[in-house]
Amino acid sequence: MKYTEILQRNRELGANLTGELYRIALLSNITVHHLKEVLELALRERHIKAEITVGDYDNIIQDCNKFQDVNSIVIFWEAANIVDFLHCRIDLYSEDDLLLLYQRIESEIDIIVKKLQNIPLVIINRFSSSLFKTNKLKDDSLKQFCNRLNILLEGKVTSNFLIVDLDAVLLQVGLRSSVDFRQYYSSKALYTVDFFRAYAVSIAPAFSAVTGRSKKLLVLDCDNTLWGGIIGEDGESGIKLDKETLAGKCFTEIQYLIKGLRHRGVLLALCSKNNPEDVYKLFATHPGMILRNEDFVAKKVSWQNKATNLRELSIELNLGLDSFVFIDDSEFELGLIQKELPQVHCVIVPQNLSEYPTVIESLTNEFFSFSNTQEDQSRTEMYIQEILRKDQINKYSSIEEYLSSLELVLELIWDVGIPVARAAQLTQKTNQFNLTTHRYTEADIKRMLADPCYLLVLFSASDKFGDYGVTGMSIIRIQNELKNHAFIDTFLMSCRVIGRNIEFAFFSKIVYKLQELNITNIEAEYLSTPKNSQVNTFYDSIGFSIINENSQKKTYTLELSNLKPKSIDYIQFK
Amino acid sequence: MDHIKQQIKYVMATVLNVEVADIPENCSYGTFERWDSLGHMNLVVALEEEFEIRFDDEEVSDMLNLFLIYNFVISKLETN
Repeated sequence: MKYTEILQRNRELGANLTGELYRIALLSNITVHHLKEVLELALRERHIKAEITVGDYDNIIQDCNKFQDVNSIVIFWEAANIVDFLHCRIDLYSEDDLLLLYQRIESEIDIIVKKLQNIPLVIINRFSSSLFKTNKLKDDSLKQFCNRLNILLEGKVTSNFLIVDLDAVLLQVGLRSSVDFRQYYSSKALYTVDFFRAYAVSIAPAFSAVTGRSKKLLVLDCDNTLWGGIIGEDGESGIKLDKETLAGKCFTEIQYLIKGLRHRGVLLALCSKNNPEDVYKLFATHPGMILRNEDFVAKKVSWQNKATNLRELSIELNLGLDSFVFIDDSEFELGLIQKELPQVHCVIVPQNLSEYPTVIESLTNEFFSFSNTQEDQSRTEMYIQEILRKDQINKYSSIEEYLSSLELVLELIWDVGIPVARAAQLTQKTNQFNLTTHRYTEADIKRMLADPCYLLVLFSASDKFGDYGVTGMSIIRIQNELKNHAFIDTFLMSCRVIGRNIEFAFFSKIVYKLQELNITNIEAEYLSTPKNSQVNTFYDSIGFSIINENSQKKTYTLELSNLKPKSIDYIQFK
Repeated sequence: MDHIKQQIKYVMATVLNVEVADIPENCSYGTFERWDSLGHMNLVVALEEEFEIRFDDEEVSDMLNLFLIYNFVISKLETN
């Protein structure tokens, strides 16, 4: 895309996007102003209403103080410009000179990390010497110095920081297309618009993740998507999934890559026009098959239209269609999905199979998640248990009877005991049963843990079918001025545990705890989003009264003496 | 008016965020708020992409008004 097109499209999207502004500050010791529009566009294309402010030239440390109220900070810290002409002067430095410089950067990293501890997302690059040094036989002194700084950086940053592999972006674009030295001598600008475009595309998934927009489910066609050939025509022995043929090797690699995604928490589903028995049997018995029946949370193998299948998947799995990625080899099928369900991210199997693994590999970014928690690894099993539970519902005459049969057990985890990474992840990923949809990072959670005004509580749930993991959370702030008043900042539950009345049992326990702390009044609010309408009367239903109400927000109050606790006798506490 | 001049004005309008009609023939560095040192870099990048040319070091620093930009673009296109 040409630079003028980027400018135009960015202006159009900026004028048309609705929703909350997402503010980013861009700090650098070189001139990087082209990145402003390029990154804004990459984020606006993802429906994030980004607005970027460029900090002062070579003022990273001071700017860290200045931009304390932004949603995110991107830092471009160019090694060659740490001091003027470092790239060509470094060979003249003595050991002592180098040590002094190293110590200066060390203390600057300390300041940056400390000053930015409350910024939800900070993106910083690995130091690189690649633009200036091309010695291939031996590491030069700038590269050695950068390596030392990178070790320092990795050791010091907190969990709200992401470190970008700048060399990987340079490699992708090519050195010659990444740099324009004419502008370095006139304005201390190094990188081209092409480079910034690739850089922006690389970091954009982090912004999707931190604003709750990551993809969650990978839906796969079967024939010519997971193996070569057509099972209905070629039969089990005719399909290509082996270690000899080109197609067979490619599809084997594809299956390994997809299975790897599942191990990192991505849910998999099938959506294929086939006879279900043929497909299930193939996954159960084919010797070349890496993926197995139990790797999929759902299988839509039928002759039904694929848009209908995807809609059903969304309902059955309780996941938004905008969290789906769909891969198919047929332009016709993908065209249909794009027309009927434009929110689904569609990917076509490339004509040349040798390019297919790269396509899957680059999808990894769309499923980007900040932390790897225990819940990620067992996510598939939990969804499968959930489907078993749903099958059971029909056996009972009432929903209450069914819920009683589940033998639900909750275990509450308070304050210091909570798993911080999972707590942050819950705030970032939960959209439906979420009264306020405040997104928090691990640094935010740690800050609240250290603040005596905050009460944090999570629950893990289980029943006779298995463990749901840590699936619910609340953050309560004890009001500073009125010690007997508490405010519910966050109350959320993962969609895995919705529909079991767990929220009422959980809320009762919180109230019990607040009463122990001599709290008499609770304030709360419901902030409306396109996804959380199912909880818009939750507080009304447990006895809160509305103080104020408009289309976006309802504020509530409750005197604990007026509480009408719902008794949920089939939920046990551990 | 000639086509190349029109194309240059279109690029200037997009980069400097003004209307084509508001670009006078005698406009130069500083005429518009956005034609500062950073804006000048943007202009160079956009013109090079538009005409698929590459300016030399000196040209980049010399092309400080519409007349000079036009001359540099024309001479680049002729040598290509």
